[in-house]
Amino acid sequence: MGLEKFTYDNRLAKYFANATILWGLVGMLVGLIIALQLIFPAFNFNLPWTTYGRLRPLHTNAVIFAFVGNGIFTAIYYSVPRLLKTPMFSRVLGNLHFWGWQLIIVLAALTLVLGITTGKEYAELEWPIDILITIVWVIFGWNLIGTLLKRRTSHIYVAIWFYLATLVTVAVLHIVNSLAIPAGLFKGYSIYAGVQDAFVQWWYGHNAVAFFLTTSYLGLMYYFVPKAANRPVYSYKLSIIHFWALIFLYIWAGPHHLLYSSTPDWAQALGVVFSVVLIAPSWGGMINGLLTMRGAWDRVRQDPVLKMFVVGITAYGMSTFEGPMLSLKSVNALSHFTDWTIAHVHIGALGWNGMMTFGMLYWLFPKMFRTKLHSIGMANTHFWLSTLGMLFYAIPLYFAGFTQSLMWKEFTADGYLAYPNFLETLTQILPMYYFRALGGAMYLVGMILLAVNLIKTAKAGKFLRYEEDEAPARHAVTEKEGWHRRIEGKPVVFTIWALIAILIGSIIEFVPLFVVKSNIPTIAQVKPYTPLELEGRDIYLREGCYNCHSQMIRPFRSETERYGEYTKAGEHIYDHPFQWGSRRTGPDLARAGAKEGKIYKPDAWHYNHMLDPQKMNAQSIMPAYPWIINNDLSTSLTESKIRAMQKLGVPYPEGYDAQAISDLKAQAHTIAEGLRASGIQVNDEKEIIALIAYLQRLGTDIYKTE
Amino acid sequence: MSEEQNKNIGNEPGYDIDTITNQRLIKGHVYDGIYELDNDLPPWWKWLFYISILFLAVYLIRLFFTEAPDLRQIEEYNKELAAVQAKAPAAADFQLVLLTDEASLTAGKTIWEGQCGACHLASGAGIVGPNMTDDYWIHGNTLEELFAVVENGVLEKGMIPYRDQLSPQQRLQVISYMLSLHGTNPVNPKEAQGEMIEWPY
Repeated sequence: MGLEKFTYDNRLAKYFANATILWGLVGMLVGLIIALQLIFPAFNFNLPWTTYGRLRPLHTNAVIFAFVGNGIFTAIYYSVPRLLKTPMFSRVLGNLHFWGWQLIIVLAALTLVLGITTGKEYAELEWPIDILITIVWVIFGWNLIGTLLKRRTSHIYVAIWFYLATLVTVAVLHIVNSLAIPAGLFKGYSIYAGVQDAFVQWWYGHNAVAFFLTTSYLGLMYYFVPKAANRPVYSYKLSIIHFWALIFLYIWAGPHHLLYSSTPDWAQALGVVFSVVLIAPSWGGMINGLLTMRGAWDRVRQDPVLKMFVVGITAYGMSTFEGPMLSLKSVNALSHFTDWTIAHVHIGALGWNGMMTFGMLYWLFPKMFRTKLHSIGMANTHFWLSTLGMLFYAIPLYFAGFTQSLMWKEFTADGYLAYPNFLETLTQILPMYYFRALGGAMYLVGMILLAVNLIKTAKAGKFLRYEEDEAPARHAVTEKEGWHRRIEGKPVVFTIWALIAILIGSIIEFVPLFVVKSNIPTIAQVKPYTPLELEGRDIYLREGCYNCHSQMIRPFRSETERYGEYTKAGEHIYDHPFQWGSRRTGPDLARAGAKEGKIYKPDAWHYNHMLDPQKMNAQSIMPAYPWIINNDLSTSLTESKIRAMQKLGVPYPEGYDAQAISDLKAQAHTIAEGLRASGIQVNDEKEIIALIAYLQRLGTDIYKTE
Repeated sequence: MSEEQNKNIGNEPGYDIDTITNQRLIKGHVYDGIYELDNDLPPWWKWLFYISILFLAVYLIRLFFTEAPDLRQIEEYNKELAAVQAKAPAAADFQLVLLTDEASLTAGKTIWEGQCGACHLASGAGIVGPNMTDDYWIHGNTLEELFAVVENGVLEKGMIPYRDQLSPQQRLQVISYMLSLHGTNPVNPKEAQGEMIEWPY
């Protein structure tokens, strides 16, 4: 059998690695800024572009899609050619993939700070960028599948199974969740509403964790850990079982983000049980990673690469145990809407994704630049900074989450809320936020050390762009093989099976929720938003209010006493998108407008509060929104917004778009008159009027009599 | 193990042995120098998986076939409310008398600043709600009248009832504290509203 010679091109792996470092620095820096904003509201800088509500999505998008995203592509562009003994399929597609992805990141950063957002957590980018993401993802998939088809190896390695699962599932998630009707170039509305939108969104959000942050990095682990440890993978059988179990089961677990919400009980239950069943498949990956290092443990002490991997994989094991525990309804009743969730995801992000990325980069740079790592000592310092930084970040937040939740739920002996003032429960935990910011700062300093270390490594060495290798041409398999070995030899068939595995759970959960009417009982009084309220709602989305305020009163006495009647599924049927939120840094607003509720405030209060929150509550950490007070409301899209809503089935009368603006003006005039009567100098045209209209509508419909 | 050695092992028939762990390497499973061991699934891992699947089965059977009330959240909620109503405390011996002791005023101050300050300001100067430090009163200034305002709110003016949020004793504490602010002349007071009523305390 003759050996064929071929050449790997390392340039794109290097580009993606550089981008990983750059966006890692940016994403973590923004994370530190928003952590500081919570303790020093001055860090909001009193500017629209830098308030918490806009920077928090920038942070999550940057670390997930820019930092980890480029990390995934670094791993793939480096490992796939080597695992398949062939260069990547197309240099042109590779370049388009790289530059396309960076363009998306830049557009994302720009639009998010400008307040251009869909208002769906972790899927905030507007429809034109969503289309661009789809195109770039197809280019990536084309390049990956093309490489698989011209491979020289007869079978594909487990790392590639995980890459393929990432490829198809992220495509499905992104497309289904991002479907929207445009109302303008920078404004689209999710085609789903309320419970259904929440359901699709958390199916997406949960599986973005599963397939963007997890399976891709398991692929990374399966290549770089055995390479760095120079040890065989612990168990091929375990690879097979945990791969298929993981991808089949993961897709079902999304509803665990919606426990005790107005999602139907059966859907919540599926979220619970499939989360618990995920422990073993997740730990299968951990076992295969850690036990692959048997025989290399002596080197773990010296080698920063292996150290990073050990902590990364251990963090993966911890967070995949904690996740299922948080999915138990009794635990979730305590943890949801608190910092516990934030701590949990950061064990995953800082521990698993961060440490695995660092390990890969410390291994990769000396290889690509044909030299030794500039400083082992610096890398070890980085290791300690990130490990301790992670603990300083997470442990105080666990404590904060617990404390705040218990305060929310505590009743006095005579049956009143022990802490009726929400702010008291936040002020209590603010000291913990100093430690969290310290932990985040340590982690960022570690990242800076990595950047310096790797730049110096690159400078000391010489970049090896083309690397020669040789392998025999692919030969037909003649011996008899088991079923799994057979599909390992047929990557397209393998991909189709993976697609089927992830579609089963998705379809079984979606169909009843969209088809069976009793899942979302209708409420006759619930009516569409008026044009002014709709514009106000878009301001609410633009400012990212959902990053701190939920709109979901859970059926607990401690919540109905604090916020009013629990939220019903039928109340959200015109909410494109839903705004239930995931963290209550401020109080729930589901019944903000209901005088029958517990938190109603008059229009004049909202006006003064948006202008200067600290004037109303000295200890409030909410940023001021002077631009909402000063800016005139743009009604240029109002008509097309109404038409977009009509396309989505919102029952505005035929031709209502033509009447929308005059209705808007009339309602604005009434509200502004009221404000002027209470001594506030304000014009009808200001944005604040629309926002007040929206807030005062929240939660009121069920009390209306027709 | 160097890649050279690995290649040699791969050429031997049957399974090969990893010299460090003495475990079997699978022949033909070599990817860029990465080998795979033929280890079985750890038994404890299998049991963990089986038990979690059992949990899934039991949970779903309870939900779909036995209609377990603890898996239906509205039933859970109704039960929670019923339990509270069952042990509602007997009305404490409560008397509507102005409080002047330090502890009550401190408790009242906390409530005032946390709840009432949002509209009347911590200083009592008023902003959305009226100034509570001057001699002008919209709904009267006797303890009974003030107590009724806190209890029932003034919905048409935007003040919600606090009867579910503050106990009678707490209402009295906060009113007592508020009255202690009378005549303090805070900065930027809201203009007088209501009618001038003589100070009865």
